[in-house]
Amino acid sequence: MTTTRSPKEIIRKALSEERLKLLEHEAFELIKYYEIPVPETLLARDPKEAYELADTIGYPIALKIVSPDIIHKSDVGGVRLGLMNRDEVARVVEEMLKTVSTRVPHARVLGVLMYRMAPPGLEVIVGGVRDRVFGATIMFGLGGIFVEVLKDVSFRIAPVRITDALEMIDEIKSSKILEGYRGQGPVDRKAIAEIIVKTSKLMMENEEISSIDLNPVIVYSNGAIVVDARVILSKVSH
Amino acid sequence: MEHILGKLFNPESVAIVGATPKEGKIGRAILENFIKRFHGRIYPVNPGYDEIFGLKCYKSVTDLPETPDLLVVAIPAPGVPAVIREAAIKGIRMAIVISGGFRETGTPEGEKLEKELEEISKTYGIRILGPNCIGIYDNWSGVDTYFLPKMKRPPRGFVGFISQSGAFSSALMDWMAYHNIGVSRAISYGNKIDIDDIDLLEYLGEDEKTKVILMYIEDLKPGRGKLFIEVAKRVVQKKPVVIYKAGKTSRGSLAAASHTAAMAGEYSIYKAAFKQAGIIEVDSFDEMMDVVRIFLHQPLMKGNRVYIVTDAGGVGVMLTDALTSVGLEVPQTPSDLKYILRKELPPHCIVENPIDLTGDADDERYMRVLDILIEKPYVDAIVVVALPQIPGIKGSFIDHIIKLKNEYKKPIVALTIGSEVSLEVAEKLEKGEVTVFESPERLAKALKALYTYSIIKTRGDHHEKP
Repeated sequence: MTTTRSPKEIIRKALSEERLKLLEHEAFELIKYYEIPVPETLLARDPKEAYELADTIGYPIALKIVSPDIIHKSDVGGVRLGLMNRDEVARVVEEMLKTVSTRVPHARVLGVLMYRMAPPGLEVIVGGVRDRVFGATIMFGLGGIFVEVLKDVSFRIAPVRITDALEMIDEIKSSKILEGYRGQGPVDRKAIAEIIVKTSKLMMENEEISSIDLNPVIVYSNGAIVVDARVILSKVSH
Repeated sequence: MEHILGKLFNPESVAIVGATPKEGKIGRAILENFIKRFHGRIYPVNPGYDEIFGLKCYKSVTDLPETPDLLVVAIPAPGVPAVIREAAIKGIRMAIVISGGFRETGTPEGEKLEKELEEISKTYGIRILGPNCIGIYDNWSGVDTYFLPKMKRPPRGFVGFISQSGAFSSALMDWMAYHNIGVSRAISYGNKIDIDDIDLLEYLGEDEKTKVILMYIEDLKPGRGKLFIEVAKRVVQKKPVVIYKAGKTSRGSLAAASHTAAMAGEYSIYKAAFKQAGIIEVDSFDEMMDVVRIFLHQPLMKGNRVYIVTDAGGVGVMLTDALTSVGLEVPQTPSDLKYILRKELPPHCIVENPIDLTGDADDERYMRVLDILIEKPYVDAIVVVALPQIPGIKGSFIDHIIKLKNEYKKPIVALTIGSEVSLEVAEKLEKGEVTVFESPERLAKALKALYTYSIIKTRGDHHEKP
């Protein structure tokens, strides 16, 4: 886990295993390569390893099962959040491995992904798609109902420069929320803009990626962090 | 150096395959168009005739006495590939294929013929406009394949029009003729197997006779989007590009494998692309023509501060609402200006913006106020509301407005509402290139487009400086 793989290597491996959706730790590894802020994630193969890693990660810890055969992790008991010490972590990893193997007997389980949970903040979404006409295209929106119900999002065709990214952020109808809400101060728009620009670069440089969701990205008054990432590939015929 | 498509618009000679004297035939309408206005050499091609309308007719393209710059093809689809191949071998570089019966039919035969045509174009390098199109109406060279004799031809002018719809293109030409709006060149490209929107945009961008480019598109060719943005970015630094995108309802993108993919309706991506390219997007036919008219005749705005001079208080308020809601500013009259206006105007006039000259206004009063306003550096545009129904207005202020607009290179637009008396004022102002509107809301939208383009243009000017 410690050696960094290039995006091409990550993608090639997934495609060679006929997986069109990157595993969570692969997705994190990929976006981290582009210096998009992500939580430090570690893969523990067993409770003992989890116990040893927990302190270095810091708390609260989130645990997620890693398996190419499981799509909805939480449905099979593969997600646990808010663990506060290493004993708890070890116990829950043991439980999780057991539950998952009973519920999905033939699933290949690579281990459990551990990361420190990001403190709460404003949730936004940054995404990318590959359009038939315009190619790599980047999206920005606020998280939750803003994107799901109100579809309040903005787009730019890649490459997206920092000025375009800032414009995208201001373009959504609910952009006022970024100036501060529920007594919070304004969020770090520049940090979001940088993630947008990096996502644009990532989409431009990796033809095989058909879409990407960084959802949510949690934004603070200073900085932002991606806490969930989904990367979908397509087979490019070159 | 001439643009690569130069000969498509400015050929010295043209061959028309399918030319015929038969009444009601497309080949006849096109031949007649060329005879009427094209000054180059014309070669009808049709094995059935020795002569048509006094012109020697040729059996085939191979038989032509020279290699014409342009080939126009209007014969049934199955015969087209052979003719194009023959033309390519003869050395012809440009062809307009009017004929329908290709991919648009949805039949395997149509598809096959189109592929064949595409292949020939690629192999021989002959450039093709079409097939299934009405082609080109060029007001300066006389190239006119718009085979609709009933369509009025608009006067020579400066609007270039690129259209994915042939029928809309010809209807618009007719409309523009009726409204006396001059056209430089109009193109309808049909199935665009070779020459597409982007090539044409680039050409009109460099074309000296085109000052405003209007585009009607349904979709761009796959994979051409980024180039489209790149070309448009260059063109808008020279002249405004106005676009109407048809087909806005989102067809769900592919399988929505992700949030982003689910959100990315086709249209929202186009919209973003237009914005990035600096293209002015319009949402309705009214807006399309309003914006074109304002671009044709108005200089750019230095800022967004609009002053209204009116003889009707109510219309002044309507305008203020409309201008403000599109994001333009209707600022309060600064105190120095208030002071001057107070001295000039009778006490019952309102010197606050909108400046209300009231129902007893006359030409004189308009002229005095406009003379003062036009000089002020904080006035970025003036809207003159001239409701001519009031008794004091005789019409001498019309020429004065025109004079001021030309002298000061500052946008002045007008609003008139009413019957003949109003239309008469409108017509005179329009003749003097003062853009006139009937509706405050439409005026506001058009002026906003002018302002938006002014920003795009100025920003570009800055970028170019090192």
